[in-house]
Amino acid sequence: MAKGRIVIDEVACKGCGICVVICTRECISLGKEKIGSRGTPVAYISEPEKCNGCGVCGWLCPDFAIDVYKSIERRMS
Amino acid sequence: MKEGIAEKQVCKRPTLRQPLPYWPLHHCPGCNHGIILRLIIEVLEETGHDGNAVCISGGGCSARFALYLDIDSATGIHGPNTAVASAVKRIHPDVLVFAVQGDGEIGAIGLGSFVSTAMRAEKITSISINNACFGTTGGQMAPTTPLGMITSTSPEGREAEGTGFPFHGPELIAPLPGVAYAARGSVHTPANFQRSKGLLKKAFQAQMEGLGFSAVEFISTCPSNWKLSPVECLKFVEETMIKEFPLGEFKNILKGNEAA
Amino acid sequence: MVTERVLCSGNEAVGWAAIYAGCQNFFGYPITPQSEIAEFMARELPKRGGVYLQSAGEAEASYMLFGGGLTGERVMTATSSPGLALMQEAFSHIAMVDAPVVAVDVMRLGPGAGTGGQQGQTDYRVVTKGVFGGLNYFIIAPHSIEEVFEFVQFAFHIADKYRILAMVLTDFIIGRMSEFIELKSFDFGPLPEKDWALKGKAKKNNVSNCHFSGLVFGGIPAFFERQQDKFNKITEFETRHEVYRTEDADLLIASYGSLSRISRGAVNMARAQGLKVGLFRPITLRPFPKSSLLEEASKTKKVLVVEDSPGEFVDDVEAAVKGRVPVHLLDIKARHIAGPSGLIFPERILEEVRSLL
Repeated sequence: MAKGRIVIDEVACKGCGICVVICTRECISLGKEKIGSRGTPVAYISEPEKCNGCGVCGWLCPDFAIDVYKSIERRMS
Repeated sequence: MKEGIAEKQVCKRPTLRQPLPYWPLHHCPGCNHGIILRLIIEVLEETGHDGNAVCISGGGCSARFALYLDIDSATGIHGPNTAVASAVKRIHPDVLVFAVQGDGEIGAIGLGSFVSTAMRAEKITSISINNACFGTTGGQMAPTTPLGMITSTSPEGREAEGTGFPFHGPELIAPLPGVAYAARGSVHTPANFQRSKGLLKKAFQAQMEGLGFSAVEFISTCPSNWKLSPVECLKFVEETMIKEFPLGEFKNILKGNEAA
Repeated sequence: MVTERVLCSGNEAVGWAAIYAGCQNFFGYPITPQSEIAEFMARELPKRGGVYLQSAGEAEASYMLFGGGLTGERVMTATSSPGLALMQEAFSHIAMVDAPVVAVDVMRLGPGAGTGGQQGQTDYRVVTKGVFGGLNYFIIAPHSIEEVFEFVQFAFHIADKYRILAMVLTDFIIGRMSEFIELKSFDFGPLPEKDWALKGKAKKNNVSNCHFSGLVFGGIPAFFERQQDKFNKITEFETRHEVYRTEDADLLIASYGSLSRISRGAVNMARAQGLKVGLFRPITLRPFPKSSLLEEASKTKKVLVVEDSPGEFVDDVEAAVKGRVPVHLLDIKARHIAGPSGLIFPERILEEVRSLL
């Protein structure tokens, strides 16, 4: 399963496409059907299983639209 | 032995002033101002200064930082942000006071204030955002417009004959004795984003240690006025902006940096 | 309590008043004939733990005033006419954010470089009407050093009470002449808390304040209504004027500041010759004592405006008098000599009075 997960706020996303090129795993795309709040495309995670939760998409999103989560394996005794 | 999968949030929306007059942020799609805003908020939180800080912004694309940041702030006068900040700092020397400004505010209308504040060794920090044009007003030529670049007031491309040469703020003030720290960073790649956070932390440290004036310039993109897509703008930063405006530290008198 | 009595100039009295009003912060730039104020502050404020910050030019001083005023501490600047012109932008922003600040304008003859800092009253229009944006600020014009000392302290009170720019308007004569004053702090009454002040939100229960000198998010009619309400209150409670020997006057001289002292001399000379002349002296120039002037003018036959300017104050007098009686002007051409040291003497005013009566 994916090591990371992102949640994209579709109201905040302005479809700039920075996350698409910055993503280290190339798993984000700009949607072709949805129109966002600025009349622009909305980003979405097109290949969620590749996400490793590195966070760079969130750092460089100029509109704070992406929350990034990383899975941590825990061994409990 | 039990195994479990927990989740850790590695990136979340920075805390902004509430209520905001509008949402999303007013910046154009792909403008790097938002990334710089995140940078400032994270540095304030990580250094523990968000309860003890005052932001002075002025006009232009960076003017609204005073509205977005959930700290004491004032904004509206275009240009002399460092003069306004100087007064606040003189009255409250224990507060972290920083100005957020654009190209005109350090290199044109606010140049006098920028340089005289540096000369007076005011213990404030100037955060300037260089997007090679006057963004808000429609992309006119700015002090930082590189030679050859087409803007609405340099329609044939900027020429040195008649308009002079691009303005390098941090380099200009670095030799002044009153300047403790002067640097330039960018936020167009994740590595540069993290490096820029370090630059700003050092600038704030120089202020709080009472060493003098500190200034950091961040390069930003301006897709609307560069007439490039946001992704092409990142390339323009890498290929053109950084060549004209090198990244790095031009002055650093913090302890442990005598060699710099 | 024994108070100290000192002989000092108008400029020095500004400095003493700031200190006795608890103002610890001065942002300014030297300019004739105001420099003694800056020099006084440079000497006295650091001794008391205060801030004397000499800016690079008057514009920068006014921007510092904007920032300083928003910290909630008492702050002041002082300048003269050419420097005032550079401060107009900041004054407009100060009005938008309701920052309490005090500014002293030691008028000098203009326009341009004028006489390099000598007597004149050519700032009247620019201080009463010159700031873009449609708002008024409080202006008070002393005529003696005692009044300078009291009015500067009063200006700090007005600024804090109403969150407004309060200006004290003097000139070369008042700035440089010396009279005795009693050094003391005036208590003008209680003042509101400054919970909006910038000092770091940790000191305010983590509530941060943002002061934005713009209207881009709307609320425009409400903003102007609030400002009008504020100035209406100032008009109702803070308008001041003085009348001298007006009870049965056939002619009313209208004059302010140093020229009102000269006019007072002319009134005395006229009365000694049996002429029924009185003096109306506006003390606050904004709010302008319109209704009092109308009342006094209506009791007389003519008004003679005496001002050391080509004609600025006369416009406000005419507006206030509403044509009830003729308004005449004795202006800068009445000076006794053509050079920079020219003054309008009481004898000249008397000559004009005689020709009108």
